[in-house]
Amino acid sequence: MSDHDTTATDTLLKLAQQAVEMARAAGANDAWATAVQDSSLSYAFRDGKPETVSDSTKRGLELKLYVDGRYGVYSTTDLREAHLRDFIREAVPLTRQLQADPQRRITPPALFPTASAAALQLVDPRIAGLTREQRLAWCRELEAAVSGEPTLISATSSVEDGHKLVADASSNGFSGAYGKTSVGFFQQVSLRDRGPGGREGGSERRAEGDDGAACLHLDDLPSTARIGEQTLARARARLGSRQGPTMKGTLVVEPRAARRLVSDLLAPATAGNISQGQSFWPKLIDTQALSDKLTIIDDPLRPRGLESHPYDREGIAARPLTLIERGVPKAVYADTYYAAKTGLPVTTGDPSNQIVQPGERALAEIIRAVGDGVLVTAWAGGNADPTTGAFSQGLNGHIIRGGEIAEPVIGMIVTGNLKTLFASLVEVGNDPFLYTALRTPTLVFEGVQFSGAGNSHPVA
Amino acid sequence: MRVVVGDQTGFAFTEDLTPASMLQAARTAATIASGAHATLPAHFDPRRQGDLYPVKRPWSEIGLNEKLPLIQKVESLLRAADPAIDKVTVQLTDTDERVLIATLDGRLLADRRPSALLGLMVTAKRGDQTQSNMVSLGARDGIDFYTDDRLKAQVDEVAARTLVLFDARRPPAGEMPVVLAAGASSVLLHEAIGHGMEADFNRIGTSIYSDMIGKPVAAPFVTVVDQGNLPHELGTLNMDDEGNATGRAVLVEKGILKSYLHDNISARHYGIAQHVGSGRRESYRYSIMPRMTTTFMENGPHTRDEIVASIQHGIIAETFTGGQVAIGPGDFTFYVKNGWLVENGKITAPIKDVNLIGNGPEALKRITMVADDFKLDPGGWVCGKNGQSVPVSIGMPSALVSRMTVGGENV
Repeated sequence: MSDHDTTATDTLLKLAQQAVEMARAAGANDAWATAVQDSSLSYAFRDGKPETVSDSTKRGLELKLYVDGRYGVYSTTDLREAHLRDFIREAVPLTRQLQADPQRRITPPALFPTASAAALQLVDPRIAGLTREQRLAWCRELEAAVSGEPTLISATSSVEDGHKLVADASSNGFSGAYGKTSVGFFQQVSLRDRGPGGREGGSERRAEGDDGAACLHLDDLPSTARIGEQTLARARARLGSRQGPTMKGTLVVEPRAARRLVSDLLAPATAGNISQGQSFWPKLIDTQALSDKLTIIDDPLRPRGLESHPYDREGIAARPLTLIERGVPKAVYADTYYAAKTGLPVTTGDPSNQIVQPGERALAEIIRAVGDGVLVTAWAGGNADPTTGAFSQGLNGHIIRGGEIAEPVIGMIVTGNLKTLFASLVEVGNDPFLYTALRTPTLVFEGVQFSGAGNSHPVA
Repeated sequence: MRVVVGDQTGFAFTEDLTPASMLQAARTAATIASGAHATLPAHFDPRRQGDLYPVKRPWSEIGLNEKLPLIQKVESLLRAADPAIDKVTVQLTDTDERVLIATLDGRLLADRRPSALLGLMVTAKRGDQTQSNMVSLGARDGIDFYTDDRLKAQVDEVAARTLVLFDARRPPAGEMPVVLAAGASSVLLHEAIGHGMEADFNRIGTSIYSDMIGKPVAAPFVTVVDQGNLPHELGTLNMDDEGNATGRAVLVEKGILKSYLHDNISARHYGIAQHVGSGRRESYRYSIMPRMTTTFMENGPHTRDEIVASIQHGIIAETFTGGQVAIGPGDFTFYVKNGWLVENGKITAPIKDVNLIGNGPEALKRITMVADDFKLDPGGWVCGKNGQSVPVSIGMPSALVSRMTVGGENV
């Protein structure tokens, strides 16, 4: 941290402590205050010139109040002392009007962290020194990497960076703060698609491609040339897409797309969902419900991890959490409140870096071994029901034929149940996408239902 | 603060309301305008525009002593609705948003935007089966909007939608005729045509509709409108976020593609002097873009019964959880929570959890029947674009899409 950061963090921490004191003075039994300052800057380039420049500075305070067995959460961006005092004086009696909730208690000090955030390497001091010229130079490099494409309609290239400071104080002795930097390159292109056959609507399709990477440290970013190359490759791969067939077969999901399925699988793994009866997880815990190829760990202590943190939003010390071990669901996200409501052990309420443990082979080798099936490169929208696990997702991808990636397909849907899908997982690749908090390699599933062109029923 | 030069935008905001921080934000926004000159207005002319959502008492004056009994009443009604109902969540979200816009031409425009959204979520148990569903009821209105009749109707609706899931199954996989039920099926219009008609995509040529104005895109009985001035609808605004009056933009008139949805940048690009205000943003934290407000299809010449009777094997899509579109290729999906199987012209069984996939221009061409039972959906729909969420409304009469791909299961 720089001197400037240290001063800003001290200011935020004092603000949080001041809010807690005000809450106690206004009659709260306990209080937890979180003060945040979040600054970001982004430059977007299109057609050789800057299209947008955006600068944001967010500052705010969230206050959790525990008043006579009741609980309320309040937030404000007006941090002037007089306003804050009035705000809290109104919040305390407002909380008294709520129903009593004996399971709402302030986080016990036994759960507080003892280590500092330094080992997590959350701040890259070089990001604070970035100049406008450097950001614009990166935008130009990104644009230059795609500008030679003859079918290019439009390319948007952007550079974003930011710096966030968080400070927490509580009436039962918590005092903590940390900062986090971020930087990213992003690009989207649109190509004219004069693919096979005209569309029924008489329109001309555009093939879209995008790529991007976000990191905490500049050193971890891929090159601008690499982003441009990937963006163009992803768009070109969509040229000439046609609707794929209705079929059953093997589903291979690229690492970026696999995140959607893993995210849907983990979404109901919370004590909150279980408390409301909206989770298929309780019946799976400690059973061999899923494929033994699947192990998922939530690791908030990963150095330079996008969602790493020394403590969660309740002040619970960060620690790795094994969610699924060799196909056996082991634990769910449980904050202090929902743990008390469900009788589950307290873990954390905040997902961090969700890591799917990699396997042995990369995508190309897996495709050769699979022989025939469908490769998904992106999802086109859909839904998953956290209560039953029923899901249905539209896809963009390719037919796999004879161990090779063949024609691009659209207009197909994968339908099934997340429980049976992840029970049919036959391979996990060794190629995780590195620039998101949920890291998963290629996933391969067998016996999957695809809906596409064709139907066994007569069409009216 | 937004600085616009041609199609370039410098944008900045700060919640640190010190002069130094505000000046820094202004300087960053102005970096886009190097070399350009602006003349400051001699004075600002304050005014209000429209009165499309009057409320007797603003939400900021309604205390918990009135909100809690409302929630508790709905909770009691839900718990009494059926013995299978096991868990209930009732959520009331209200806002009293004030917007003040100052522009270089001296306008100082104010708007006060109320909104309320009541969400009802239910989990029911029958044997070892569990099913969940939800409904929402939203408006730019005050607490008086939530009458006993409206609340009871929503309770009955969510109970019925949830309990029918126990008997519902998935339809077969593949292509088949799809009846879009009156009301919320307009998710399809929102995705299949609405987003593609937002002029920011068209002025840079990335929408599939970029070259299609004036061309036939649907049958002559298909008219699609985006209208921002329907009283009390969640998508309604007295003025858009650039201070322009909202109104009626006809996207498709009798089958012909007519006009895009504009903000000031795109209107200037297309040389349009007067446009229906469609420039919106989630809040001061975001930049402005062309967005939808209330998107709907007008009534057609058929009846719902005629549509159902025309189908040998197909489905009726009735309730939805959302949708998505890729602007360039025009491919869209939307997700059906509840629906019905239609066999030999008759409704035969409930269905659930089906994704539908199609292509915007193709789906419009395949609308072969439109009924006369127009309905605006009362739910609280939220539209997402480039990381910004804004409330919108949707509606349509029953309509038949002759062929769509249904994400079913062949057993």
